[in-house]
Amino acid sequence: MNPPVPAVMAELAGLLMKNAMPDVPQPERASDLSLSAMLLVVAGEIWDRQAHILVEENRAVRGLLGEVGEDSDLHIPALQAENNRLRAALIVAQAAAEVAGDLARQEDIWAELVAATERRKLSMAPV
Amino acid sequence: MAHPLEPRLAAYIAGKIPAASSVAVTGLERISGGASRETYRFVLSWTEGGESRERRLILRRDPPASLIDTERRIEFEAYRAFAGSAVPVPEMLWLEEADDALDHPFFVAEEICGFEASPQLLLSGAFDAVLPALAGRKWTILGEIARTDPAAAGLTRWMAGPAPGACWRRELDHWEALIDKDAAEPLPVTRAAIRWLRANPPPPAQKLSVVHGDYRTGNFLFDKAGAIHGILDWEMSHLGDPLEDLGWSLQPVWTFGRPGQAGGLCRPDEAVATWELASGLKADPAALHWWILFSCVKGQGIWVGSAAAFNRGGNRAPIMIYPAWWLINAQDRAMLQVMGRL
Repeated sequence: MNPPVPAVMAELAGLLMKNAMPDVPQPERASDLSLSAMLLVVAGEIWDRQAHILVEENRAVRGLLGEVGEDSDLHIPALQAENNRLRAALIVAQAAAEVAGDLARQEDIWAELVAATERRKLSMAPV
Repeated sequence: MAHPLEPRLAAYIAGKIPAASSVAVTGLERISGGASRETYRFVLSWTEGGESRERRLILRRDPPASLIDTERRIEFEAYRAFAGSAVPVPEMLWLEEADDALDHPFFVAEEICGFEASPQLLLSGAFDAVLPALAGRKWTILGEIARTDPAAAGLTRWMAGPAPGACWRRELDHWEALIDKDAAEPLPVTRAAIRWLRANPPPPAQKLSVVHGDYRTGNFLFDKAGAIHGILDWEMSHLGDPLEDLGWSLQPVWTFGRPGQAGGLCRPDEAVATWELASGLKADPAALHWWILFSCVKGQGIWVGSAAAFNRGGNRAPIMIYPAWWLINAQDRAMLQVMGRL
């Protein structure tokens, strides 16, 4: 998830402190606080599921790329870095399958891309 | 408590109205949203010819960093080009491209008062009875934009016009380059869409049109009867294929959670038929499909740009986080839908 949750939470904390001051114009306060509230709801949803999503996705993409191994460091930045590496490799693999006309390979990759997109769907997504 | 920009803005405007005295700016307040420009409303009062006068105005100022980088001159001239036409726009007053007066470039425009822009309000159920009429107006006005002669409107002076066969490539190159620059994570679905777009280009544009660039529910002012009183947010306007605007208006992210409803308002075929009637142009289904998928890529370019502006520290406002968190996955889902994968 980008921007990363910790950076967003730090920013929102600063924003809440700023809006606790009496001299903030009322419309700006209303805008800041309502947006912050919505972002906190999303942050809660991400916090609950992000590690699970990344581990599951990394496992699936390793399978497609013929790699072995598991995630041993379960901190989000470590999982995300591995996810970035694997998804970058998946882009290359999909493009290669298109050039080669390998339809079965393309369908396997598409199936994972659809599954990954569904995994990441937010409960209040507009699409 | 007075906003600190008020005396500075008053001093600037006083310099623009030599016949005025006692120029004052009051009630300056930021309007929600506006991730690419800071937008404020305010009341200007002054004395001229012995008479006290007052006018409600809008200030649009560049932020320190934006989710899209555009020239305010282009936006200003686009608004001016449609003044008094069948496309309702607010009157533009002053453009300032230097940083001296208010730290960043800005322009001042008329405020069209008494109307709403919020898609959430429009689609809350309270306006359901007028949505068909509003949809008709929305795509009729878009057809009027497509019908407009860019040269006659004075816009070819400010906007470069590509050859009809080059419109798609210019736009796709532009947005792919932004994604290359800004994406913080690999985007396999978006990259697959870009490859498909390059392998299956659309036919040349049937004419070179003014493209609004962000024509969607949320960027116009409406009333309770379903009338539209102002088309806003011309900051991405340019010359190009008229199907680009139609495709953007039909891309799934702008259904606002109403699947199968163009802009959350009506069936896509109804929107297309209205646009064709107003523009006098044809929307070839295959070409329109290309532009809808392109619009998904463009949307992704904007959302990852928003995250990048936050991550680089140029703009840490919460409005920069919202599109990145809410829409990057939604845009992937939209792409999969348009490609028939979801």
